[in-house]
Amino acid sequence: MRNARVLRDIKARHGVLQSEVTRRAYLYVARNTTLPAQVRHQAQLQLNTFGKYTRPTTVKNRCSETGRGRGIISEFGLCRFQFRLRALHGELNGVRKACCMDSFSQQNS
Amino acid sequence: MEAPRALCSQLKTLTRLRCEIFQTSYNPKNVRTGAKYLRAHLRGPSMVNYYPKTINLAAIAREFPKMGIVDSREEQRLADVEDRKRRGKGAPKKAKTKADSRRTAKRR
Repeated sequence: MRNARVLRDIKARHGVLQSEVTRRAYLYVARNTTLPAQVRHQAQLQLNTFGKYTRPTTVKNRCSETGRGRGIISEFGLCRFQFRLRALHGELNGVRKACCMDSFSQQNS
Repeated sequence: MEAPRALCSQLKTLTRLRCEIFQTSYNPKNVRTGAKYLRAHLRGPSMVNYYPKTINLAAIAREFPKMGIVDSREEQRLADVEDRKRRGKGAPKKAKTKADSRRTAKRR
């Protein structure tokens, strides 16, 4: 079962996907200095009518295992503890625990 | 300083020609045209795929009631709620009037 915060984040992601093209069109008009000021202002007002869950800045990458919002290792989409657990189990390809003895043996061989 | 000025105008004509040939917009004064909002990649499609897909057992059970899928955790939770109600530890009833809600607020 997913965390409520993760569900909210998923909602935001879908909202961004749906309204992205129209938002971009309004952004283009609003930021275009060659257009008349009134048109730009109208576009900006339209931008303000979009909901909270349609802005890409609302989206936050959370841990896909626990839903934790901080300490996410973005390459794996996991929080630092889940990353450690998975890595120690050998479930993450190319990740292994660092060990000073390893480097000694590499130098000697 | 005749030579650099001539070079400058030549460079300007060169960029204008280049813009004509490759069909890009000629913007010598760097006016904000908002083109960057159209040029940028759409982020939505990759955003949606961030979380790995999971199976929603409750939704499947609701869709196909004949399959007899039982979510043991949910069953346990409902049983616990019933048990708590029987012992008089259930959630209080919702306040119908404003006076009710005031009374509950005072008790706290």
